[in-house]
Amino acid sequence: MPLKESIFVALDTLWSHKLRSFLTLLGIIVSIWTLVAVVSLVQGVNGYVGAKIAHLGSNAISVSQFSLEEMTDQKLFREARKRNKPITMAEYDYLRDHSRLAQNVVASSSRGTGTNLKAGNHNMTDVQVEGDTANAIALAVYDVAAGRFLSPSDVARGNNVVFIGPDIANQLFPGVDPIGQTLNVDGHDYQVIGEATVQGNVFGQSQDSFVIIPIGVYHAIYGTKGSVEVDAQASSALALPALSDELRMLMRSVRHLHYADPDTFGLIGADSLMALFHQLTGVIAAVMIGVAFVFLVVGGIVIMNIMLAAVTERTREVGIRKALGARRKDILSQFLVEAAVLSTVGGLLGVALAWAFTLLAGQLTPLPFALPWAAVLVALGISTTVGLFFGIYPAQKAAKLEPITALRSES
Amino acid sequence: MATAASPLGTVPPVLPATDVVIQTVDLWKIYQMGTEQVAALRGVSIEIKRNEYVAIMGPSGSGKSTLMNLIGCLDSPTKGQYWLNHQQVSELDDDALAHIRNHEIGFVFQTFNLLARATALHNVELPLIYAGVESAQRSARALEALKKVDLVDRKDHRPNELSGGQRQRVAIARALINNPSILLADEPTGNLDSTTSNEIMGLMDRLWSQGNTVVLVTHEPDIAEYAHRVIFIRDGQVARDEPTARGRKARV
Repeated sequence: MPLKESIFVALDTLWSHKLRSFLTLLGIIVSIWTLVAVVSLVQGVNGYVGAKIAHLGSNAISVSQFSLEEMTDQKLFREARKRNKPITMAEYDYLRDHSRLAQNVVASSSRGTGTNLKAGNHNMTDVQVEGDTANAIALAVYDVAAGRFLSPSDVARGNNVVFIGPDIANQLFPGVDPIGQTLNVDGHDYQVIGEATVQGNVFGQSQDSFVIIPIGVYHAIYGTKGSVEVDAQASSALALPALSDELRMLMRSVRHLHYADPDTFGLIGADSLMALFHQLTGVIAAVMIGVAFVFLVVGGIVIMNIMLAAVTERTREVGIRKALGARRKDILSQFLVEAAVLSTVGGLLGVALAWAFTLLAGQLTPLPFALPWAAVLVALGISTTVGLFFGIYPAQKAAKLEPITALRSES
Repeated sequence: MATAASPLGTVPPVLPATDVVIQTVDLWKIYQMGTEQVAALRGVSIEIKRNEYVAIMGPSGSGKSTLMNLIGCLDSPTKGQYWLNHQQVSELDDDALAHIRNHEIGFVFQTFNLLARATALHNVELPLIYAGVESAQRSARALEALKKVDLVDRKDHRPNELSGGQRQRVAIARALINNPSILLADEPTGNLDSTTSNEIMGLMDRLWSQGNTVVLVTHEPDIAEYAHRVIFIRDGQVARDEPTARGRKARV
């Protein structure tokens, strides 16, 4: 029997038992839905994170108190906490003065909570306060929207000036040009000198709620106990490994580490940060895809079950077809195609649901959701394969029926 | 021609004459019922020529249905030979038998055996699908066959929208579609009232007069009277093989 004919018969049968078909296909639908949605989710989150969270830019490397491994592994962290010391401004100066591979070496210190901002009658709390060197703008994700960033002389002299994020401008200076206005941060007055461009939200967290003051002023007010974060920029992505080696060498020499001693600091590149993130989303994806495959197997068994029922129900039909000249392989392919069509329809419904999901998620979240076409094709391929595989046994059962026995059956 | 059955059934017959369509030589069918062996056919040797109109009669349990199944290639004999159109069918495998059923035999069943979910036209097309005929040609030929049984206006109806007589006519159109060597009708009027029965038998008669070979299995003597020759089966053997009144008339 030609394929077209088989598909037509299969769709007709499927349509004549709509509810039964739908129930049969639930496993496949849910599984394909999950598969496609998870791939879409992971791609969306990774794309988003790649674009937004990687503050450092791909050519930058960060010197911090702990390495990424130490921050994500409890055991390593417990050991590192005894050993690693905060990065100091003296160490920053040393790195800046001695690095020959870095184009910019930037220092910053920050605190995220417990701050109070005041301007006129307006108040804001829990704004991120950051102390920066003047060259920090070179590595920042934002640009200057109005006014200017901190100047070297602001930082050198310790001027009480502040560069603000757009949220601060909107909430504390509504309808007023904030440049030149006075802003009170934790009891100290600063003159607003510039405003940053809008960055939007990451996971519902505004990226535009910050104030930046000269790093010396920051340390004078908030103390020097916390670690300074040093970011160094390489001339290109290719120069990063060399820069990383140089920074390690400089840090070890300034800290007088013996050659056998472990590092007492961490070097974090944007790439390692992304790698860590991909690892995390990869684990989530693997778990979800594992769950999806369990659904898939369950769905396949349900299809096998319903196909066995169909063969029994239609034994007479098989007999008629055989009497009219259907060979074993005609009957085999008819039932195989039917199982495959059944599961492919399930796969299509799953893809449709996943598509609706990505549309909805794209509306409700800032993540750049898209239907991953490769995943859709793979998912449909998988669903068809599941139908073919679990259809083999029932189809063989039908094909092996003796024409005379099948014709005499009561069904 | 002399094709007397050997008691052993192993001696090949003289090649059947060209006008012989069906020839069985010492045909046996033995069923295994548990530990017991039941012989449904016990050495049946018959010959049916082209354009003959033969009725096979016998009480239930006589083996006439078994004989019909063997003639229709729906079943294989335990022993003996069956030549259909110069081809020894009793030695063929499953797929070859399917090919024979498709090309050489047109079935008409007591219970019609139409596909319930398919239209009349599609039911008639079915043998052509397995013959590998392409779609456009299939519909044209199916329509032609429906025309022969006067059912063109019912082509889009499903079996449950047709009367018994109409269903049987669809089945006859289906049986004819591949120009088979024989038309094999198993109690074709068994589920029909007498008026419709006469109508169907009239149609069979017409098909015979157009050159078809018709083999009719029935237990109703008045239906058998439509044929020209009756083969009586009893206890798995040919009890009598004689012309009917009509056959005698035709011969004269």
